[in-house]
Parts: sequence; C-alpha cells; structure tokens
Amino acid sequence: MQSNAALEYDYSIVKLFMWTTVIFGIVGMAIGVLIASQLAFPDLNYLMGEYGTFSRLRPLHTNVVIYGFTLSGIWASMYYVGQRVLKVSLLESGFLRFMSKLHFLLYMIVAALMVVTLALGITASKEYAQMEWPLDILVVLTWVVSGIALFGMIGLRREKTLYISMWYYIAFFLAVAMLYLFNNMEVPTYFFSGGLGAWYHSVSMYAGTNDALVQWWWGHNAVAFVFTVPIIAMIYYFLPKESGQAVYSYKLSLLSFWGLMFVYLWAGGHHLIWSTVPDWMQTMGSVFSVVLILPSWGSAINMLLTMKGEWNQLTENPLIKFMILASTFYMLSTLEGPIQSVKSVNAIAHFTDWIIGHVHDGVLGWVAFMVFAAVMHMAPRVFKREIYSKSLLEAQFWIQTIGVVLYFSSMWIAGITQGMMWRAVDEYGNLVYSFIDTVSVLHPYYTIRAFGGLLYLIGVFMFAWNFFKTATAGRRLEQEPRYKSPMA
Amino acid sequence: MSDVAMEIEKYRIYMFLIGTGLAVVIFYYYIIYLYRSEKKGKKNYEKYGRLALDDELDSEILEKNPKSEEKKKGEDK
Amino acid sequence: MFHWLEKHPFFFAVGVFVVIAYAGLIEVLPNFMEKARPIKGLKPYTVLELAGKEVYKKDNCIACHSQLIRPFKAETDRYGQYSMSGEYAYDRPFLWGSKRTGPDLHRVGRYRTPDWHANHMWNPKSVVPDSIMPAYKHQFTNVADLETAYAEAVTVKKVFNTPYGDDIKPGKAAFEKYKKEKILPEALKIAKAMKRDDLVKMVESGKVPEVVALVAYLERLK
Ligand code: HEC
Ligand code: HEM
Repeated sequence: MQSNAALEYDYSIVKLFMWTTVIFGIVGMAIGVLIASQLAFPDLNYLMGEYGTFSRLRPLHTNVVIYGFTLSGIWASMYYVGQRVLKVSLLESGFLRFMSKLHFLLYMIVAALMVVTLALGITASKEYAQMEWPLDILVVLTWVVSGIALFGMIGLRREKTLYISMWYYIAFFLAVAMLYLFNNMEVPTYFFSGGLGAWYHSVSMYAGTNDALVQWWWGHNAVAFVFTVPIIAMIYYFLPKESGQAVYSYKLSLLSFWGLMFVYLWAGGHHLIWSTVPDWMQTMGSVFSVVLILPSWGSAINMLLTMKGEWNQLTENPLIKFMILASTFYMLSTLEGPIQSVKSVNAIAHFTDWIIGHVHDGVLGWVAFMVFAAVMHMAPRVFKREIYSKSLLEAQFWIQTIGVVLYFSSMWIAGITQGMMWRAVDEYGNLVYSFIDTVSVLHPYYTIRAFGGLLYLIGVFMFAWNFFKTATAGRRLEQEPRYKSPMA
Repeated sequence: MSDVAMEIEKYRIYMFLIGTGLAVVIFYYYIIYLYRSEKKGKKNYEKYGRLALDDELDSEILEKNPKSEEKKKGEDK
Repeated sequence: MFHWLEKHPFFFAVGVFVVIAYAGLIEVLPNFMEKARPIKGLKPYTVLELAGKEVYKKDNCIACHSQLIRPFKAETDRYGQYSMSGEYAYDRPFLWGSKRTGPDLHRVGRYRTPDWHANHMWNPKSVVPDSIMPAYKHQFTNVADLETAYAEAVTVKKVFNTPYGDDIKPGKAAFEKYKKEKILPEALKIAKAMKRDDLVKMVESGKVPEVVALVAYLERLK
C-alpha cells in the first residue's frame, strides 16, 4: 500500500444496480410465469381488465427482463469489473461518480415510463424496440451518459492494457448505440399534421420489407449485444476470479472476440428466411449463422478449460456450478440457433414454440445464470459480508436447472409438433389439421412450461432472499475475499 | 430492377467480397502474429489473464498507463 | 499494430465500430436507395383502417399472429397466395410478427366477415371452443383515436409521398370535415355489417369503437 493507502473501489453505484437486478428479475419473471400460464389456461387473461391480456403483457415481460433485469446486471458488473481491471476507483473523479449516478437516475426514469406506456398499449410495435420516440430520446441520453462513465473510467486507468472483459463492454456500448439509433428512426406525426392526435405517436421511417430488414438487423443484434457480448464480458472476469484460475487461453479469447464482432452482425437475416427480403440476404443469414458457432464455442470452450485441473470446485462451490452450467447452455443455444437457421429447418421451426424454447434455454440457462452468479460474487465484496446461505444457493441452482430443462424440452416438443402439423398433408395433398387442432394439442406442453417457469421463479425468490439477507444480516468480513466467495 | 439498383447491387457484391476477404486475411495474420510473437518471446499474451485475478488497487500493475501517472503527480503537488 | 490497438482505447473503439458497422453498410443501407414499390393497384390505408392498425398495435395482436405467408404449399393452401414485398409498401411499421400462436392474418379479409369478427373478438370461445385467444371486450366500448390516425395519414403523405387525396391535409378543421364526410360513413358500414346495434349507435353518435376500426383493418387484409 503506497500512495493510495486510503483509496478503495467505490461500490455505491454497483449496489444500486444490483438491487434493481433483483427487483426487475422478480417482476419480469413473474409476468413471464403469468403469460406462460395464460397460454395454458386462457381464463387468466381477465385478471386486470384490458391491461391483463397476454398480448399487452408479453412486451412487458420481454422489456422488463431484457432492459430491466439483464441490463441492470450488466451495468452493475460493468462498474464493478471496470474499476477493478482498470485499477481505478470512481472515488478518484467526482465527475465520473456523478455521471454514474446520473446514469442510474435516467435509467430508472426510462424504466418507469417504459412499464407505464407498454401497459397502456403505447407502442411502436417493433420487437425489443417498442418504446415510442420520446422514450427513445431518453434512452439515447441514458446510453450516452453510461458511455461517458465507461470511457471515463478507461481514460483514468492505471493499467495500460484493457482486459478482455473491457473489450466486450466497449463493443456492447457501441453496437447497441448504432443499432438502436437506426432502428428507431421515426417521424412524429404530431408535428407534421399541424398538431393533431397523440403527441407521442410516430411512424417508422422505413416501410414494409425494409422496415423488417432494419428491425431484425437490430433484433438479432439486441440478442447479440445485450445477451451475449456483455455476458461474455462478465464470465471472462467472474469465472477466473471466483475459481482463482486465469483464463485458459488469453489468445483464444482475443480471437473469439474479433470473430464474434465480424460474424454476428451478418446473421440477422436468419430471422427473415422465406420472407420477402432478397434471397441472398437470407442465404447470408443462414451461412453466417453457422459460421457463428466457431467464435461462440471458442469463448465457451475457453471457459470450460479454465477449470482444467480444478473440476473439484464444481462440486464445492455453487457459484462455479452456475457459471459452468451457463457456459454449457451457451454452447447449447449457439448450436441450436445455427441449426434453426438452416433453410429447411427454419421452414418448420419459424413461428413455432421451438423458437421460444431456443430463446429461453439461452436466457434462462446462460444469461440469467451468469447474472445470478455475478451478483452473488459481488455481494460479499460490495457489502463486506459473507453470503447468507450456501445451501439456499445450492437449492436455487437445482430448482432452476430443473425449471430450465422443463421449459426448453416442452417447447422443443411443442414447436416441432406444431411445425409438423401445420404442413401435414394426406395422400391427396390436402391439409390434415385445422389450425385449432394444432393449438389444442399444445395444451400439455404449455402447462409443463408454465410449471417449469414457476420453478425457475421460485429460484429467483430464493436468490432475492439470499441477496437481501447477505446485504443486511450476513456475517461481517474483515477482509475482502481474494477468490472464492465466502458463504455460510 | 432499375439501372441504379443494378449498379448498387454490383458495388455491393464487390464491397462484400473485398471487405470479407480483407477481414479474413487480417484475422489470419492476427492469429499468426499472436502465436509467433509469443514464440519469439517478444510478447507474453497469457500474462494478461492475470488482470482478472490481481485486481486490487494495490496489486502490482502489469504495464503502467503513463497518462494516469502524470495526473497523479499533478495531484501530489 | 495489433498490440498498439489493444492499448489505445479510442482507436480500438473505432476499430470495433468499423467491424460491426460493416455488415450494416453492405446489407442494410443500400436498400434505402430503392423506395419500396407498391404492387399494382395497392391503395394506401384509409384513415379508419389506420386507426384499426393502431388498435392492432395497441392490443398487440402481433404477439400471437403473423402477417407473412411463406411460399410453401402447406401455407398457401391454408392462408392463400404467398406474401409479396410490394404488398407491404405502406406498412409503417411492418407487422410480420415472429410467433404464430394463432393463424396468419395476412389474408384474413378473404375468408372472414365482419359479423364473424364481432362474435370472435367479443368471445373467441363462442366461435372456436378450444381457442386460447383472449376476448377483447374492451374494444367494444373504447373509442378509437381517429385523430392520431388522420395525423399519421397527413404525415406519410407529406414525408413519404404516400398517394392520399387532397382532402388529407393538416389542421383540426380539415380533420373534422374529413371525419364527417369519409370516416364515419365508412365506419357505419362496417358497424352495420358487424350486426351489433350498440356499435351502430356509437358510430351514429360520432364515436367509432375500437373494434369497428380494427375490423375495417382486418377486412382490408386480403
Ligand atoms: C394468445 C394469443 C392470441 C392473441 C393475443 C390474439 N389472438 Fe387471434 N387467435 C389466436 C388463436 C389461438 C386463434 C385460433 C383460434 C380462434 O380462431 O380463436 C386466433 C384466431 C384469430 C382470428 C381468426 C383467424 C382465422 O383464420 O380463423 C382472427 C381474425 C384473430 N385471431 C384476430 C386477432 C386480433 C385482431 C387480435 C388482437 C386484438 C388477436 N387475434 C390476438 C390467438 C391469439
Ligand atoms: C420464469 C421465467 C420465464 C418464463 C416463465 C417466461 C415465459 C415467456 C413466455 C410465455 C413468452 C411468450 C412465448 C410465446 O409467445 O409463446 C416469453 C417470451 C420471451 N421471453 Fe421469457 N420467460 C421467462 C424468463 C425470461 C428471461 C429471464 C428472459 C431474458 C432475460 C426472457 C426473454 C424472453 C424473450 C426475449 C421473449 C420473446 C421471444 C420471441 O419473441 O421469440 N424470458 N417468455
């Protein structure tokens, strides 16, 4: 301890984002369980009048889990990991401290407005970009402030080299900024009509097929740059740190990074296969989706090999369990995605529940598991307390794993069943099933999925309780743990 | 398709082939560079893996950022 | 060069940006040089239909319904002629959807009637007992926002040259006139075809229920 003896990392902003991770997690997934149940038992649509139908709630679910839960987790980790690998404390700069708090404040405002407007049905109707233009402007503002905080920390850093996680955070920031701006180009109708109608209403700058192209260029890469890139940033830090093992191959991590950056953006076309966008783009979407396996597995295998010789930790430490299972699910869904992008498979899979299954083995198994592990790793350091209960963490792990397996297996079966039934013809070439046959047959799978989701949600409550108790009643720690997180 | 569209389409294909070709070349060059510079002992990339592990404010710094040092000096005065 | 890049965050960020922007530059941007060309005979949405589209967006039917018929026999048999790019030329935003919990609706106007919709939207189970579609009873009392729909028509006419007539022009007075002359009569026809007196009464009093606008829109999907 030399000149900066008194200096510490500043976790106040990390704490704020951790709390919102927990809260949005509960809200978003509770809505998820509700809408899953509505598909199995439609009477549940009428609990809250017009605000309680499946169709109003679905975007609330997606937006709250993506922009609430996941983004909160990402930003908590960004401020935590950022300070640590750059070896700079936010306490060193009043300006950056202010920016980080402003970032949080704006984010809360956007989140609140988002929930209210979506519940009211005010929407631009593009998936993952439902917010109307006034909110878009706030989003951009929030994003810029977060960028100032991120690059500000980088500017002050003591360590010249940026650790690989920082690369991913930078890419996350840049890509989402670019895509969001383009996809949300809208013309507000109020100003062009001499002040008629709702002031927040707008029309898209693009029409029809073009609009679809931009939307899925965005939509796909929202998945890429919110659900993949920053989550990889997290695992590249938290897994080595928790296990005390440096990443297996740093070079491989660099190569996977550039591979992912180049290839990912081309794959958006796989959302539009057999649609009216030009053929070559559909083919491009297919081909690049398959190529995408390489950089994705590069990262995932790198993570698994990091545990080389230390596999005993898997049995001893639930946080390692979470992260290893997350890498495994990442491998699963990055194999599944390319398979669904093959034209002939896509003909069956598109529009069915198989896609929903794919989405959720990714987000439940990979994204959310990584977020839980990251939050629980940070908690003892941030609150200077021991994790409240190891057995609760273990129980959460198992109940959620069962939940995920029930979810994706039921949706795989449902999706493929539905896809096959839609196209089934008899010997004379007539369709065998009416549409409603293909709906009724799904009832058992929807029920299983809702049950799986409920198990997962119970796990989230365990997590929330564990987190809360850690923050308020965990045994105090004298010293910051170096690697393994202490837990009672 | 209009003439303009054909023109655009043509340039698009050229741009794609050139860009992607370039990216592939650079990428392979990068791989070779990484492994060769390590073999020759010029660089040691794997040491950066430690950045995640030694991340206390008072951990040893691998490569100091000169800019941050200038700033620190300024403050000391 | 590489090593240098890794230590200079600004240039590194520029590099990353170039790599990620490249795909968009090639794949997406050039398409905007070519305006979307409507297929022959395609008319822009009427204001009532636009208001219906807003209801479709507001109640988010896209959560369960697609509007994209793919070129397979099984789909064309079920839903009709496969979809073509030019048919969407006036769709801002596009409403293709990504999930078919319910059937595709791109040509639903060909095989369903307003009174069928009236019963179905009121209570899907009364028409299709196994349906899992929610009932949308609130659409029978909520009033459609015609003014915003009109504002949208004015905007797309001005900004994108969508071929609307001269009577679509800015200002409150123009709207009121247009509403009385064009929108209400169109709505009344739909309301009558839906065979529900309450809807007819509402339209006659100058208020168009959401469901009437919605059905006008669904009828237009052909
Ligand atoms: C929970 C998912 C869901 C939502 C949300 C939903 N629908 Fe449906 N819809 C279905 C299902 C399932 C069917 C097939 C059974 C039936 O006809 O009720 C269907 C059928 C239809 C049909 C009949 C199509 C045909 O070819 O027979 C129409 C029209 C329709 N829906 C319109 C709408 C509109 C308009 C909305 C939005 C206000 C909407 N739906 C919202 C699930 C949904
Ligand atoms: C308890 C856990 C969850 C349950 C029960 C659940 C349930 C659902 C349901 C029922 C749908 C609609 C499916 C359909 O239209 O048929 C859905 C969609 C979606 N959910 Fe979840 N969800 C859960 C957790 C999550 C999480 C944690 C995330 C992301 C972090 C997520 C992201 C999404 C996305 C992106 C979609 C849209 C998929 C698409 O349009 O293809 N969900 N979810």
